[in-house]
Amino acid sequence: MATAGAPTTAGVPVTSDVTPVEFSFGAGHRPEDSTHVRTDVFDGPLALLLALIEQRQLDVLTVKLGDLAGAYLDALARIEHGRLGLLSSFVSVCAQLILIKTRALLPRAPQPVAATETEADPEEELRRRLIEYRMFRDAGRSLADRRALGAWLYHREAAAALAAGRSGARPDPGPALDPQTLADALLASVRLVPPLPSPPEVLARTITLEERAAVIRAALRRAPVFVLQELLRDVTDRVVVAVTFLALLELAKGREVALAQAEPWGPITVTQLPPVPAQDADG
Amino acid sequence: MADELGDLTDAAQQPPEPPPGELSVSQLEALLFVAERPLARREIATLAGIERDQVDALLGDLEVVLRERGLRLLSAGEHVQLVTSPEAGRLIARYVGADGGRLSPAALETLAIVAYRQPVTRAVIERIRGVDSDYVLRSLMHRRLVVEQGRADSVGRPFLYGTGFDFLERFGLTSLDELPLLEPEAALRLDE
Repeated sequence: MATAGAPTTAGVPVTSDVTPVEFSFGAGHRPEDSTHVRTDVFDGPLALLLALIEQRQLDVLTVKLGDLAGAYLDALARIEHGRLGLLSSFVSVCAQLILIKTRALLPRAPQPVAATETEADPEEELRRRLIEYRMFRDAGRSLADRRALGAWLYHREAAAALAAGRSGARPDPGPALDPQTLADALLASVRLVPPLPSPPEVLARTITLEERAAVIRAALRRAPVFVLQELLRDVTDRVVVAVTFLALLELAKGREVALAQAEPWGPITVTQLPPVPAQDADG
Repeated sequence: MADELGDLTDAAQQPPEPPPGELSVSQLEALLFVAERPLARREIATLAGIERDQVDALLGDLEVVLRERGLRLLSAGEHVQLVTSPEAGRLIARYVGADGGRLSPAALETLAIVAYRQPVTRAVIERIRGVDSDYVLRSLMHRRLVVEQGRADSVGRPFLYGTGFDFLERFGLTSLDELPLLEPEAALRLDE
C-alpha cells in the first residue's frame, strides 16, 4: 500500500508484453478506434469494471462499487452488437452494480440482515471477485514478463531440431552482401598470390648454326652440288635465311663445302668438298 | 536366418539381465539424456531396480550438479526431463527457430488461473474471469500450455486442466515451485 503506483510482483514491473489498458469514454470517443481496444479491455465484465476503477485511480478495497454503475452502463452501451454473445456476462455484473447502488440509496432496516444471514453482501461479494480477478490478471502479466525474457527451456527433441534445420529456420544470415565485396576479394587475392607467368604468345624460336648446318649437310647428301637459293626457296623467315648463310660460311671455313657466286645477287652454288681430315691424315 | 531373427526378437522383448539394483547420479543423467521424453520417477526406479524415494534423492543430487551446467532438471509432478538452461534460451531459440507468438491478456489471465489453481475446471476459470472461457482455453490447449489432467469427481465429471511441460519450458520454470508468489492470495485465504 506504501507504493500506490505501478503494481509490481516480486519487483518485476507488470507492464511489457501486455497491451496497456487504454480507452476513453470522453467526447472524443471514436467507435472505429475503440474496436480493437475493446477486444482487450472488454474481455470480461470484471476486466471492464476493474479498468474503470483503475482509470479513476481508486482503490478496489474501498471504492463504493455502486457509484460505478453509471460509468459501467455507459461503457456497456458502447459495446458493438457483434459482441452480443458475451453481453450477458456484462449485463450480469451491471445488474449487480445497480443492485448495490440501489441498496446504498435506500435506507435499510437492520432486521432483514439477520433474516437473510446466508445471503452475502453483494458489494463485498463483487469486491472479492474483483480482487481475485485482479490477482490473476496481474499474475498473467507477470508471466508475460517472464516469458518475454526469452529464458525458455528446451528439451532434447532431435526430430524437431532436424525439422527446424531442414525448414531453414536458422538465424537470419544478415543483410545481403554487396557484389562489389566479391570483386574486391578477388583483387585482394590477386595481390596476395603473385601472378603465374603467362605463356608467351610468340615462341622464342632458337635457330642454331648446328641446325642449319645439318640442313645443308642433308642437302649435300641428296646432291653434291646445289644452289643455296633453291634450298631456301620456301623459307620466309629472314633469320633462318641469315643463320643458314652463316652456317654455310662456317662449313666453307671448315672446308666442307666450296662456294661460288658468279655475280652479285646471283645464285650461290654450294659444292661438297672431300673430307679434309682424311687428307690431313694422309698428308 | 530365421532363427537369428527369432533370437533378436526374444532379446528385445526380455531384458537380458535383471536390473542392477543401483543407480549413480551420472547414470541417471545419462538415462535422462537418452530419453527424448519425460520419464516417470517410477519408471526410473523400475529400470534401475531401486526404490522410488532413492530416485527422488538422486534427482535432487542431479539438480544440484546441473546448476553449474547448461542443463536443468525439469520436474512436473511424477515426470522429469533434462532441458537446456534458461541462459541458453535465446541461443537455442535461434537454432530451432522457435517463435512463441503473442499471448492475449485474456489468454494470460486464464493461463495464470490454471497455473496457480491447477487442477482446475472450466467452471472455476469462468467464475473467476466472469466470462465464457471455452475459446481461450482451447487456444491454450492447442499451444500445449494447458493440458487436460483427468476429470473431477463432481457432478458431470468435468475436465480438470493444468499446465504441462511446455508451460514450464516457455516460461523458464524448472518446476511449478518456481512460480512467482501471489501476494494477495494468502490474504484471500485468510478471509475465506
